[in-house]
Amino acid sequence: MHRLPTLLIGIFLVFLTSWYGMVAYPVLGLGRLMPVPDPDTGGSLPGVYGGQAVAGQRVYAAEGCISCHSQQVRQTSVTATDIERGWGVRPSVARDYLRDSTAFLGSRRLGQDLSNVGVRLPDAKWHYKHLYHPSSVCEGSLMPAFSHLFVTRKIQGQRSDDALDLTGADIPKEGYEVVPTAEAKNLVAYLLSLRHDYPLPEAPVKKAGPSAAK
Amino acid sequence: MSHHPISPCHDEDHGAGIHAIDASVRLPVLVLFGNAVHWLVVASLLAFVLSVKLIAPGFLGGISFLTYGRLAPMARDLFLYGWASQAALAAGIWLMARLCGRPVARGLAGTLHTTLLIGSTVLWNLAILLGTLAIFAGYGTGTEWLEYPGWASAMLLLSFLLIGIWAVLQFDRRVDARAEVAQWFLVAGFCCFPWVYGTANLLLVWKPVQASAQGPIQSWYCGSLLVLWLLPVALAAGYALLPRLLGRHLNRRNLAALGFWTLLFLGGWNGMERLIGGPIPAWMTAAGVVAGVLLLVPITIIVINLLGTSPDSKMTEVGEQGVVLAFLKNGLYALIVAGLLGALCALPGVSGTLRFTAVSDARFQIWILGAISFPLFGVLYACLPPLLGRDCWCRTLSARHLWLTFSGLWLLVSLMILGGLFTGLALSDPTVSFLNITSYSYPFHVLECAAQLLLLAAAVILGLNLSRALAWDYLTKNPRK
Repeated sequence: MHRLPTLLIGIFLVFLTSWYGMVAYPVLGLGRLMPVPDPDTGGSLPGVYGGQAVAGQRVYAAEGCISCHSQQVRQTSVTATDIERGWGVRPSVARDYLRDSTAFLGSRRLGQDLSNVGVRLPDAKWHYKHLYHPSSVCEGSLMPAFSHLFVTRKIQGQRSDDALDLTGADIPKEGYEVVPTAEAKNLVAYLLSLRHDYPLPEAPVKKAGPSAAK
Repeated sequence: MSHHPISPCHDEDHGAGIHAIDASVRLPVLVLFGNAVHWLVVASLLAFVLSVKLIAPGFLGGISFLTYGRLAPMARDLFLYGWASQAALAAGIWLMARLCGRPVARGLAGTLHTTLLIGSTVLWNLAILLGTLAIFAGYGTGTEWLEYPGWASAMLLLSFLLIGIWAVLQFDRRVDARAEVAQWFLVAGFCCFPWVYGTANLLLVWKPVQASAQGPIQSWYCGSLLVLWLLPVALAAGYALLPRLLGRHLNRRNLAALGFWTLLFLGGWNGMERLIGGPIPAWMTAAGVVAGVLLLVPITIIVINLLGTSPDSKMTEVGEQGVVLAFLKNGLYALIVAGLLGALCALPGVSGTLRFTAVSDARFQIWILGAISFPLFGVLYACLPPLLGRDCWCRTLSARHLWLTFSGLWLLVSLMILGGLFTGLALSDPTVSFLNITSYSYPFHVLECAAQLLLLAAAVILGLNLSRALAWDYLTKNPRK
């Protein structure tokens, strides 16, 4: 250990073990997972994201949603109660993420887990209102307002279908409406497409559905 | 010569030798440390703003670039790359030059070397600045710890290679054939960073692999960055300075090699525990649990080596040496706590409750601001007087920095652990609603805000102390008293 080559070779070999197990193996094993056929629809599982949802991943990354939200339902154990909490019907597995551009697994839950937010909260209007002013729909929420993803504009002719039905102090002044920007629409499309509720060979789902998963 | 007694060199090498060595690295080390401290102040400010946002989510609200989701990665990356990595580069260059007992280069080669190092430092800081602004403007990658866009991380890697290669080459040019333990750690750290950072960026940012494989790679990166790059440099500071400050030899030096190799072996695997119970094969979870617990082996050896050297405390002299000693020792205490907490959180039952809670934040803080930053502060306090050739620190400011850092960090970590325990236990009862749990953590968030304020004050005081020390050189005609 007093000569540079000896030290370097030693460091290289020792380092190689974790590099092999945690980089090479995932790339060659998990990175080559394929979708499985969906017997119900003839499509594949996990399903393909629509164009808006693909763009929405970019917004999810840019806004740093991962700082507070995880996207993984853990194995049920004595202490991990993700499924009992209604965050999913089965544990998430590596194959669930193969359509994603980035695996937004997350390490913190200042907010709720989002792996199945598309199943839990399927209403786009709710998401727009929530993003615009979180505590107006969730009293006491820590989530900041993403009002910069919306524009307040003068109503031209008829009120837009997308306009938010706001309440209280959020209501814009007479003749104006608050509408989501393309970014907000993409983000919500992505959120609505988040679901790990289909059965996979390595992660079967009990037929009874989420409520019976307890 | 009124010289600082701390010399990582052997007792027989002193006088002109040390001056020439210090002169050969003076400018790069000062520039790296100066920039590192300035990023530390910015990062601490952001961390304080973030803690306020947890009490009042509307604080600085409605402004796209000031949302929690953008500020949080900015602050973390500034702690990791702006402060810790840059300070580790500075500490590594100085320690390596001193331990090898030879100036890095002389004459024209010396000028070229200094120019190259300064150029690379400028590149490093430019990458940090542009990367931070990119996250600010919504171009973050969304991959934790690697939020800088691909071009910024490529700049960082290039800059590291240009700076770090000298530290490794210097090892081969050392005077003493027998290498010191500190030198092993330095070589390991400087070799691991390019590999770890390059691999992770290649597979997650530059040319992302299929997302199903990204989780383990990302965890490996987080574990490796801390344990294989930053920690080895921090430990090198301990191995180089502690025995000399205390005037003793390492305690049970024959164990050091075992500690070194087990740390390197477990460092990468250790990250896996971030995904226990998550979407990874069961054997990876098992490896994470084992590595998290076994990491206590190298930590125990390191503590035996270093703290065993000081059974009595006759060296509790005030002033710089006292500050250096306090930072180095507390760095080891932080490492012990980080190791114990890591081993505990690796147990599947505990992980089930505490993963995703503030306990993970507490662990990050204790690693980055404790086990890693404390020894780096120690090197900063130790290296400046000999580099500037005078007693440059303001004792009062140094002492305030020391106490504010200690009280701020320990307060923050205790609050985060307590808050995390509360929320973790509440989360494992599915009948308690999520919003209720959020309200339980409110009092902890308020107190954490105070702790962040202490840490911000500490960073500002360090910044002032350093600016004062550096500016003195320009303000007075005669820098050597």
